[in-house]
Order: sequence, then C-alpha cells, then structure tokens
Amino acid sequence: MRAAWIVYRKELIEILRDRRTLMAIGIAALATPVVLSVISQIASRTATQVYTIGYTGDIPVGLDVLFEATSLKLVPVADPAAAAKQQVDIGVAFLPGGEIDEYYDPSRQSAQIASTRLETILGQYDAAQAAAALRTRGIDPGILTPLHLVAHPLSSPVQAASNSFLSFFLPYILITMILTGGFSAALDSTAGERERKTLESLLLTPAPRSRVLLGKIGAVTTISLVAAVAAIGSMFLALTQVSLPGPSGSTHISLSPVAIPIMVWVALLIAISFSSVTLALGTLAKSFRQGQAYVTPLYFITIFPASIILFIPDFNPSLAYYLIPILNAVLVLRDAIVHNTVVWPTLAVTSISLVGTGALSWYAALRLFTREALLTRS
Amino acid sequence: MTEAAVAVERLEKTLGKNRVLRGISFSAQPGEIFGLLGPNGAGKTTTLRIISTLLSPDSGTVELLGFDTRKAPEEVRRRIGVVTADIGVYPRLSARENIVYFARLSEVRETDLRRRVDAVIERLDIGSFADQRAESLSSGQKQKVAIARAIVHDPQVLMFDEPTSNLDVLASREVREFMVESKGRGKCVIFSTHVLHDAERLCDRITILHEGQVVASGTTTEVRGAEPELEDAFLDLVGAK
Repeated sequence: MRAAWIVYRKELIEILRDRRTLMAIGIAALATPVVLSVISQIASRTATQVYTIGYTGDIPVGLDVLFEATSLKLVPVADPAAAAKQQVDIGVAFLPGGEIDEYYDPSRQSAQIASTRLETILGQYDAAQAAAALRTRGIDPGILTPLHLVAHPLSSPVQAASNSFLSFFLPYILITMILTGGFSAALDSTAGERERKTLESLLLTPAPRSRVLLGKIGAVTTISLVAAVAAIGSMFLALTQVSLPGPSGSTHISLSPVAIPIMVWVALLIAISFSSVTLALGTLAKSFRQGQAYVTPLYFITIFPASIILFIPDFNPSLAYYLIPILNAVLVLRDAIVHNTVVWPTLAVTSISLVGTGALSWYAALRLFTREALLTRS
Repeated sequence: MTEAAVAVERLEKTLGKNRVLRGISFSAQPGEIFGLLGPNGAGKTTTLRIISTLLSPDSGTVELLGFDTRKAPEEVRRRIGVVTADIGVYPRLSARENIVYFARLSEVRETDLRRRVDAVIERLDIGSFADQRAESLSSGQKQKVAIARAIVHDPQVLMFDEPTSNLDVLASREVREFMVESKGRGKCVIFSTHVLHDAERLCDRITILHEGQVVASGTTTEVRGAEPELEDAFLDLVGAK
C-alpha cells in the first residue's frame, strides 16, 4: 500500500497546483451562493411586483380598492385586447350587466400571474357583494359557505417548503460538484499523464499498477469530496441569508440533523464511483481534450435521474428503484431531508448498489490500466 | 564471458496486425554498451518494452539478471532504469520532486532517499535548477531529470531508447558521456538508436534489427566487415544500398 500512498500524495500536490482544478473548486464554492442570491431576489421581486391591467368601461364600485391592495394597477386603454399583447400585462373590458371580458397572452408569465390575481379578486368581490346583499335582507351570509374547512398541518408549512427546496437542490449540487470537482483531476492523472509522456516512466517502476490506480482514485475522490463540501458549505452559508415568510415571521432554511451523516456517506460512495468511472474513461483517451469528450456525456447521464425528482415531486418508489445508482442517492437524501428519518432498508440497498457500482468501475479502470494498448495505442 | 545481464531468446511479438518481432535473440553483458540498431519500425522500442515488462512476448523468453520478465516482472523493474526519447516529466513538480517521486516508487528507503537524490543531482549537474518547476526547464534539463529518475535507485541495467533524438549537441554529448561513465561502473547499458555514428563510437557490441529480425550481430568491427563505415554495412544489411 506504500506505493498507493506515494501516488496519492503526489497526485494531490499536482492537483492543488493545477489552476483548472482550483478554479473548479472555487466556482463550486461561489456558484451556489450566487445562484441562490439571484433566485431569492427574483422571487421577492415577483412577490411584490405590480402588474398592470389595461381596461375599458366602468369599474364596479369598490373593485378598484381591491386591485390596488393586491398590486394590480389599472390603466385606461382604448383596446384591451391589443394592449394585452405588449403594453400591459392583461386587458379587461368592463361591460354593462356585470360581464367582464379578459384578454391575456398565456405565453407571458406576467400575464398568467396577473390573471390569477384577477380571478382571486373577482371571487372575493363576488362573495362580499353576495354577503352584503343577504345581510340587507336579514339573511346570514354563512348559508353561502355551509362547509368549513379547517386545516391542521402536521408539520410547519414553512419547514415543508424549505425541505422541498433542499430535497431537490442539495442532491443536485452534491452530484454536480462531485463530478465537476474531480473531472479535471481524473483526466489530468490519466489522459494528461499519457499526453505529457510520463505514463511509460510511471509504469516502469516496480509499483504494481493496481496500487498506482488506487492512489489516483484516492486523490480524485478526495478532491471531488472537497469540491462537494465547498459547494454545500457555501450553500448553507448563503441559505442563512435567505428566509421564507411565515405566520410567525421569516424562517431560515435549515437541514435536518439526520440528513447530514446520510449526505456524507452517500457523497463518499458517489465520489468513489465517479472517480473510478472518470479515470477509466480518461485511460481510454489519448489527450486531455479527448478525455473531456468522453467524460462530458457522463454528466448528463448521471444528472438525469436526479432530475426525475424535479418533475415527479411525489415520486414514491418501491425498494427496487433504490438499486439504480444516482437515483437511489437522490431518493435517500430526499427521504432524510423531507421526513427527517433514515429508512434503513432503502439506505442498505442504496449502499450495496453504489458500492457495487464503485467496484465494477474500479475493475473496469484496472482492466483498462493494465492492458498493453495503454502504451501501444497511438 | 560473464553471465549475461540481459538474455533475449527467440522473441516474437505482434501488435494489432503488425508482426513486429520475428524471433530475435541477443544478449548483453554487464560493463558493456550494447547497441540495438535499426531503421524506424525495426522493432527496437518493442524489444525494450518487452525487456522492461511493459509488454508481454507472444513467444520466446527474456531473462534479466536471472529473472524471467513474465514470471517476475516486479523484480525485473527493480533492476532497470529506462530513458526514452519522450522526455516526460511532471510539469507542476520541481526537478527534485520528480526525482524523489520516482525514487520512492522504485523502493529507495526513506533513510537513503535524500542522500541518493542529492547524489544524482550532483552527478548530473542538476543543482542549479533542482527546485524549479519542471515546466520551466529546457529540453536538455528535462532529459537530465529523466536520466536522474531512471538511475536514482542505482539499477544494474540501463536502457536508453533514442535518448538524444530531441536534444541539442551539448545535451547529446552529456548523455553519451553518462552512458560511458555507467559502463565504467559495471552497468549493462543497452543503447537503442538509429544514429549509426553514435553507435560506432560508443558500443562494444551491436545487433542490427530489420523488419523484426536480427540481420547482424557482433562488435562494430565485425559488423562493418570490409565496409569503410558502419553506415555502409547497415545500408547493405537492410537492403537499401
């Protein structure tokens, strides 16, 4: 194992002197806070955004007050349909007899938001008018709402929103940063070694190739984990500055205590597997650039399962799904974040699957690293 | 004659569809410079790679100081130092770090490491640039680092594969002087080249390869025969005259 340790130390020194890898880790640490800051600003701006309604006709009495209270600005226009195409967010024609025609372009997000707000206001206005009319006739307006729904949330809605956000964002960041953090280092220690013609000299030493490979995988895994920890650490630092509005003031997003050890364990398994796979692909390449062409598709292949969670938020899979690498990591992390609990059978299956993937990748990398074509292929 | 340091017997190797070696045999002794000559594609580099255990022969045997390359590859690699034409050094390590890395991988003991590294640095006159990053070194300086890392574990067999092909006149001369010095220290030096002038000046014995076969073997005088220059004999042997 001494040879593996020698290679590991040398690879780490070289990686830490490589501007490309340092930039990848730096970007990993900076990108998340920047993205979160932009998302936060856009979200708060959307919440307080004033939308304009171009209208014709007479506004029903009292409706203008509701419009103003919900940040909808009324602007008189000649043709509401034409104005709704660009000039205003939606167009409205108040017609005699209480009819209201609405004109909006569904392809514009601002039009959709303004339209939803308009529907809500009109619903409230109708209910208020009906209640007032009933009262003047001495009838209890309560007859309009015979059923009363009283909601009793079993967990904090704010925390649920926070968990939902984390359950997608955190696995995504984790996987992306593990892959991109080790990407350059893996290619540099395989394709780069071949490109700068040091490979032959390395293989001429008495060190067994399996030990040389082990040292390289160890170094790439370490740097992948460093990149992931930097990204996640900076993400949580940024989240302390972002808050969600709630009934008892604003709440900061925080990670459940159960999720932290699960995240570390899963990150380690993914990093080992990815290191082996990228080293195997790098071994096939003749140059760093060719290695990039081989490894880039890997990112899209692996990130796809993570995206399933985005499109199917309530995806409730059977145990067999936890055999699928990467998807299983995302699911286990989601369970830990959302439910603040460890489901041991799913964690066991996930661990077996990721260890198996790592072992197969290691075997493939070793086979590629020990074949004669490593030197004779030009 | 002493026992051969390197003994090659009926070596055959095919790479892809190319039959590179077709049953070559030769032996090299300790304390001599043995020339492996031939035009490009003759099989010189493949032969050296088989001797150094990077490739396996399809048939035939290679013994290095009594160790079979197939049965004891790690023992063989402990006893060889190889310098190639491709001067590959780790650019982000200093010259000294490059040498230390290979010394450790070649199982030099930590207690001897510093002494050994300092010794080769002094012997090859690397001191002035030993702590510079390798990426800033000239070709000649890099070649010295490549030689230093190949000899830092004091191997008994040294192999040079076209070591001067990328070097200027001064650097080439230093490499040649180093080979002669190593011979004087009792090392077996195998020198693969297509520069016949170098071979004629340096080698005690030579073997000429052509299309994967040995076409001549012996001292330079024996191979030259009646021809005035080794080059004339070489051209005659490879059918280019």
